Amino acid sequence: MAASPASSATETSPDNSAAPAVQIRHLNYFFGTGELRKQVLFDINLDLPRGQIVIMTGPSGSGKTTLLTLIGALRTVHAGSLQVLGQELMGLSSRKLVGVRRNIGFIFQAHNLFESLTAAQNVEMAVELQPQFHAKRTQATEILGQLGLDNRVDYKPESLSGGQKQRVAIARALVNQPPLILADEPTAALDKKSGRDVVTLMQKLAKEDNRTILMVTHDNRILDVADRIINLVDGYIESDETLDTFNTTHDPKNLDQQMFIL
Amino acid sequence: MKRTPLAVLNLLHERTRLLVAIAGVAFAVLLIFMNLGFQGALLKTTVTFYDQIQADIFLTSPQSLEISTTKEFPRTRLYQAAGVAGVERVMPLYLESLLWRNPETRLSRAMFVFGVNPQDPVFAMPELQTAAARTILVQPDTVLIDRLSRADFGPQTVGLETEASRRRVIIGGQYTLGSGFAADGTLIMSDQNFVRFFTPRSFDQINLGLIQTSEGANVPAIAATLRQQLPADVQVMTRRDIIQNDLLYWLENTAIGFIFTLGVIVSFIVGTVIVYQILYTDIRDHLKEYATLKAMGYSGRYLFVVVLQEALILAVTGYIPGFIAAFGLYQLTFQATNLPIEMTLNRLILVFILTVIMCSLSGLISVRRAVTADPAEVF
Ligand SMILES: Nc1ncnc2c1ncn2[C@@H]1O[C@H](COP(=O)(O)OP(=O)(O)OP(=O)(O)O)[C@@H](O)[C@H]1O
Ligand SMILES: [Mg+2]
Repeated sequence: MAASPASSATETSPDNSAAPAVQIRHLNYFFGTGELRKQVLFDINLDLPRGQIVIMTGPSGSGKTTLLTLIGALRTVHAGSLQVLGQELMGLSSRKLVGVRRNIGFIFQAHNLFESLTAAQNVEMAVELQPQFHAKRTQATEILGQLGLDNRVDYKPESLSGGQKQRVAIARALVNQPPLILADEPTAALDKKSGRDVVTLMQKLAKEDNRTILMVTHDNRILDVADRIINLVDGYIESDETLDTFNTTHDPKNLDQQMFIL
Repeated sequence: MKRTPLAVLNLLHERTRLLVAIAGVAFAVLLIFMNLGFQGALLKTTVTFYDQIQADIFLTSPQSLEISTTKEFPRTRLYQAAGVAGVERVMPLYLESLLWRNPETRLSRAMFVFGVNPQDPVFAMPELQTAAARTILVQPDTVLIDRLSRADFGPQTVGLETEASRRRVIIGGQYTLGSGFAADGTLIMSDQNFVRFFTPRSFDQINLGLIQTSEGANVPAIAATLRQQLPADVQVMTRRDIIQNDLLYWLENTAIGFIFTLGVIVSFIVGTVIVYQILYTDIRDHLKEYATLKAMGYSGRYLFVVVLQEALILAVTGYIPGFIAAFGLYQLTFQATNLPIEMTLNRLILVFILTVIMCSLSGLISVRRAVTADPAEVF
């Protein structure tokens, strides 16, 4: 019995590289039904061009994760339009959504690595989603090397530090060179130094290959990698600014202290 | 390049859990083997007496159920059979039962009777092979008694006189046969005595036709020819056929079938629950990782296959020690009780299939959890 991840109906959808990475129009999203129905996203409009690093901030419960999972084709879109890599997700069957996900690199707050697999094997699981994966070992060791894990490729997660585990997870998200990377608080579980390292690595890889990164974070220390900062409050996009404007509008002195004294 | 064998690696990662799972499956396999073994052995004791009947092919009435529930048919069928090529000898066997009075308690109970022509080598028991045995048999009202008859029939001393179905009868000798579930005790008497005891029975109506084939003959082919040539009022069975027929009868008409089948079912359920527990815990512990795989673009089908592979690995790795343990216990049981308990190829295959079904079933019940893992929940 061959465990093939792909069934005929869930092929990888092609990346229309002329289109922006993400284009959202009038997106509304609700949780629950009937009386429990609760709207968490209100009329979201957003364009993420290729090659941009976008950070999304906002208070807890404002809908950041919800928006991220919608863009990541992990939830079905109810109302509005959401195009990811040129593909409209509104009305797409859940089988087709699986295909869309193969063009997206996910980095979660928890690393979610298989404890039973080595660092390299965890990364290879991602490569095996590709039709051709005979070079999976090389690809895995290469990207782990780029993330500074050359001498950890055959370690299981249990013998890696938190930062190393998160870097393996990042390697897994990046190994297929997805045009879009979604990260939800990737540094939350890390100490200052490894958090910083992880973000710098993501920035470097993104800039080199013109990848789009959308990252949710509460971590003010890493805002400087962003080209653009979006602030989500109570389900509305409250502000959408470049890093510089963001710094001036958000009391630069205070921010300076938070960011650069560390 | 091969895919990462996730199922194997997941199982190997939790060694203790894997060992518990294998032990659980092995235990269930052992229980199933023991139940089937006892069932087979008990059933076998019901037909061991056929080993002592020297015939390759048996003729019976189509209305006969098993050896102690037979209908008569014309002896001429047996003579017709004698004309077929490859048939060496034909022998009639007359069967009835009578009420044997225990001379001590004066209580009567049913005894099964084989009526034979004293010149025919119907039985293989050494006691019957002597000329002396034949002279005893031809004496009027004289019978041989089975040593394995139940104690309730009273003493079996040679020369003892008692009453059977209101006639005087003398014990002329003994033999060792046994009769399984068919009877509590057996007698052998001559056909002459038989027709006298059981008037109005005649020599012309027999209960079983015994056919010996010549050395090296093709028995199934002869049986087929007989089936073609004899009218439909007789049924032609090889030794294998008639034993199967009686086995099936006892399986369906006694508690043997029910009790041990129930045992197998219970063992099967125990095994299913154990494997389910293990797989379910495994899935629960890896739910985030499975959800992550789905977020990465793996289909639910892939996870389904992974869990099913884990189930099948448990089936195979649990079957082997279970089988070895059962084999050992079979030997022990045989030495301790003399029950004819033995491992057969059919049983090996049957239990293996049951094990695979058991594990797949657990896999199918627990896999839902993995397949429905919501990738949106891992953010
Ligand atoms: N599965 C769900 N069912 C119902 N309501 C939900 C569900 N998930 C989230 N919500 C609600 O939707 C709102 C937005 O949640 P979301 O997780 O997107 O917030 P967030 O901005 O990511 O918060 P945080 O910064 O704490 O992670 C919250 O009010 C939350 O309670
Ligand atoms: Mg969140």
